[in-house]
Amino acid sequence: MPATEHSDDERERCVTGIDAIDHILNGGVPRGNTVLISGSVGTGKTSICIEFLVRGALNGENSLYLSVTEPTDKLLMNVIPFDFFDDKLVRQGKLQFVDLPKIYDKLGIDKEDLDFDQTRLLADTIAGIVEEQKIRRLVLDSVTSVCYRIREQERIRDFLLRLGTVLSAKGCTTLLVSEIRSSEDGYSQWGVEEALADGVIVTGNLERRGDLLRTLQIVKMRGTTHSRAKYVLDLTTSGVLLVPLLKGGSVASGG
Amino acid sequence: MAVEVSITSEIAEKLRALPDSSAVALHLKSDQYFDAIQGMLDRFAMKKDLEVVYVTSTIPSQSIINALEVLEIPMDHIWFVDCVSQIMMSQAKRHPHAIIVESPTMLENIMLKVEFLIRGHPDRNALVVLDSINSLAIHNNTKILSEFLHILVNHLRSRGAYTVIFSMREYETDEIRNMLVLVSDDSIELGK
Repeated sequence: MPATEHSDDERERCVTGIDAIDHILNGGVPRGNTVLISGSVGTGKTSICIEFLVRGALNGENSLYLSVTEPTDKLLMNVIPFDFFDDKLVRQGKLQFVDLPKIYDKLGIDKEDLDFDQTRLLADTIAGIVEEQKIRRLVLDSVTSVCYRIREQERIRDFLLRLGTVLSAKGCTTLLVSEIRSSEDGYSQWGVEEALADGVIVTGNLERRGDLLRTLQIVKMRGTTHSRAKYVLDLTTSGVLLVPLLKGGSVASGG
Repeated sequence: MAVEVSITSEIAEKLRALPDSSAVALHLKSDQYFDAIQGMLDRFAMKKDLEVVYVTSTIPSQSIINALEVLEIPMDHIWFVDCVSQIMMSQAKRHPHAIIVESPTMLENIMLKVEFLIRGHPDRNALVVLDSINSLAIHNNTKILSEFLHILVNHLRSRGAYTVIFSMREYETDEIRNMLVLVSDDSIELGK
């Protein structure tokens, strides 16, 4: 039998609802993947994540945003007023926003550094919420902040492996937000995150002749073929829009 | 006055003769500019119930809007992607139907704003006007401009939209003519 681009036993997709990203991924993120969305400040990570959740909730999938660094009230005040957002989704519980510090409080985690047991307890608690609430889409914003409290690479590895395995088994597609500096090599603070993730989506700023363009590139996604080209991104009220980055011989550097 | 009427009628007639989703290069002289706009928007787009996305890199959108007001052309279905007001540091108030792109060198952002405006009216077919290839060529090299036109025009064609690309005869070069031949289905020479 000749090889084909799409096999019959292709994995089920989580259609993100962000048309351009679904197009780049040939139909969406393979269901259950844990994807690192990595970039420096102001590159659109949180907007992409929120659109991912809202589109999922509109499609009947329970969606959960776990906020680590910013109280969700403040976050929602600053988020783009999407045309397709419907308050009903929140009232019906289809779309939930939870502050992770509240979970720390409930678990009695008050120290800055999490020990081995607390790290496992945190992973199990998040997995428990996903199971109980039948969550199909999860965003952890940011995994970098959680890792700062875990500190040790081995414990970070254990946390991510444990969480990723359980969420994947439950068919929950997860976006982990990774904060990096624009000058940094790699896609995560600790290096472990990108190695364990099923996918890596990188957002960035590209300076070209004095213009600053927001960019997006999917560098890794297990379970699907995909474009690895760089795209230019716009955050609009009708959602995230992408167009190919023009080359045209005018790009001074690879950016 | 008789000449004005003939230009507005001529352009409307020629555009009406084109099949849907056509991309056309419109070659005109500077003194035909506002008549061409009137013919295209008033006599063609309005009659065909098209949503107009007007990309201006030649003069600020407000100048065109002022002219449309004088001509009593309603703005309900006309939207602007304005690539010049920001670089001119213009303090003028922004019309609610105008979106600003910081610079005519941000070609990807022009494509993104056009897409945004078209998405906002999914039930109506669109006419996208690029005014003009000559002013875009001042700010961009031929390679990137050709790539931009190629992607934009093919994308619009796949969406069933009309594309009209203005080219001012006084500023045309061989490179610009070749670029337009490559991406257009047809070419209209006004007044010839």
